[in-house]
Parts: sequence; structure tokens; C-alpha cells
Amino acid sequence: MATTILDNEAVQALVDPRHRKHRRMLALCEAAHHRGAHRRSIDAVLVPVAVRVEAGWTRNGPEAARINLVSRARDVVLDTNRTNRATLIRRSLGVSVTDATIGELIGSCAGPIQVITSDRDDSDRMAAYLGRSVEIIVL
Amino acid sequence: MTTPRIELLAAVSRLDDESATPATAVTSIRLPVALREAMAAAVAAGFDASSNELGVTAIRDRLELYAQRVALDMHYETHPDSRPTLAEIALALAELDGDPLAADPDLIAAAAEAVVRFKPTANADDVLMYAAGMINAVHR
Repeated sequence: MATTILDNEAVQALVDPRHRKHRRMLALCEAAHHRGAHRRSIDAVLVPVAVRVEAGWTRNGPEAARINLVSRARDVVLDTNRTNRATLIRRSLGVSVTDATIGELIGSCAGPIQVITSDRDDSDRMAAYLGRSVEIIVL
Repeated sequence: MTTPRIELLAAVSRLDDESATPATAVTSIRLPVALREAMAAAVAAGFDASSNELGVTAIRDRLELYAQRVALDMHYETHPDSRPTLAEIALALAELDGDPLAADPDLIAAAAEAVVRFKPTANADDVLMYAAGMINAVHR
């Protein structure tokens, strides 16, 4: 099972039908659905809570509930250990707080990892720093 | 009016609300013996903590896929312009699969256009297969 991590713009594109990359994001959701429906892989889709705050995604309300199901994204809560790891990444690489929480997930998830992002450079840099192989999907 | 589709979305949405302290119910499902034995072997091999957890996870995964389909279709009913094309889905699938074809969106677009002439119900896999065939034909 692969893990797909969404960054800030991926979340914004997902939740806002007027976003210029909304359709692109739905194409990725359709492709993930296809993989699951054809027994290839049911991927975990994760969003660090800091990313959700930055993107302004509230997950309650009728429209939000539908988007929750469209994406199958789950929140990743920052506990003490995750926060410590994210802090180290931010201190070492000078990335933003939200990017550091994405980096923490890159470092802590088992198995193949994909990041859907508008910023390939930071994800590449964090993956290299953490010694992880990550498939970057540019939004 | 509540339809089965709406009920499915509501029920699957509740799975997360209840995940911390879920109410449970005992139920019986008639399983093929080989499937039950495979479940026990998987648990013994450490893939899951119990047959119950394995079964619940598998059912939940399936239901979430059904709900995802319904949610996508309902989203397109409200926002028709947001429906991606077959070529866009095929490109996204190639990216998620790590397929080298993802580097050639124009080829995928051409394959999507061509394949529906032979198979109107073509899906993203059909497009990628057709695109691979197009490359093969050129290099023959």
C-alpha cells in the first residue's frame, strides 16, 4: 500500500471547485479510485493537520463531507514525537512549518510514498535529507 | 428525500466520527472455508492483529471506495466542469503507478482519443495500454 501526502495547494485545489487545478486534483482522485477498484492498491491519503489549517479546510458541513469522501484523506495529528521530528527538519532545512510536517510524514511512513505538491524542490530536498525515495507528483 | 446513495455517504462519514470508541455489533457472515483459512494464516504471519480486524479493515476499504465513487459522481452533478477527461485520468493513473508513460501527456491524450473509437467504455488502463501499443508500433 502506498501513502499519498497532500500539500497546501493540493488541499486548496481539492476543496475549491473554482481553483484552477481542481479538475487536475479530481483526476488524481479518480486515478486513486481506479487503483482501489481494480485491486491494484488502496492508497492511504494523508494530510498533516498543519497543512489543513494553512489551506483553510474545515471538514464539517455538507460540501466538506463530500470532499472528505472524494479524497479519502485522513488527518495526521501532531503529537509530541511528530512535532519533535518536524521541528528538527525545519531547523535543519529552513522549510516552512507546514512543509516540515510533510517532511515528518515522509520520514515516518512505511512503504512507497507519493507527495502531491506544487513545489517539487522542497519535497525533493526533504526526501534527500531523510534518505527516503519519494514519488513527487506535481499538481 | 434520502436515497441509498445519500445513506451510504452519511454512514461512511460516521465511520471516522465513531472510530475512537466505535459501537460494535456481532454479525455472522458465511465465508468460504479457504478464505477463513487464509485469514487465519495472514494473522499468524503477523499481517493483522486478528481475523476480526482484517475483516473490518477489508470491508471498510471497500465501502470507502463505493462512497468515493458516489461522492465523485455527486460532485460532478453539482460542478459539471470539474469532471476530468479520460486522458486526464489516464495521465494521473500513470503518475500514481510510476509508469514512464506519465512523461508523455500528448501521447496519452492521443491514445485516449483513439481508444474510445474502438471501445466507447474505455477506462484509464485501456488508454495506457493503447498508448504503450502506439509506442510499440512506431518502434517496430
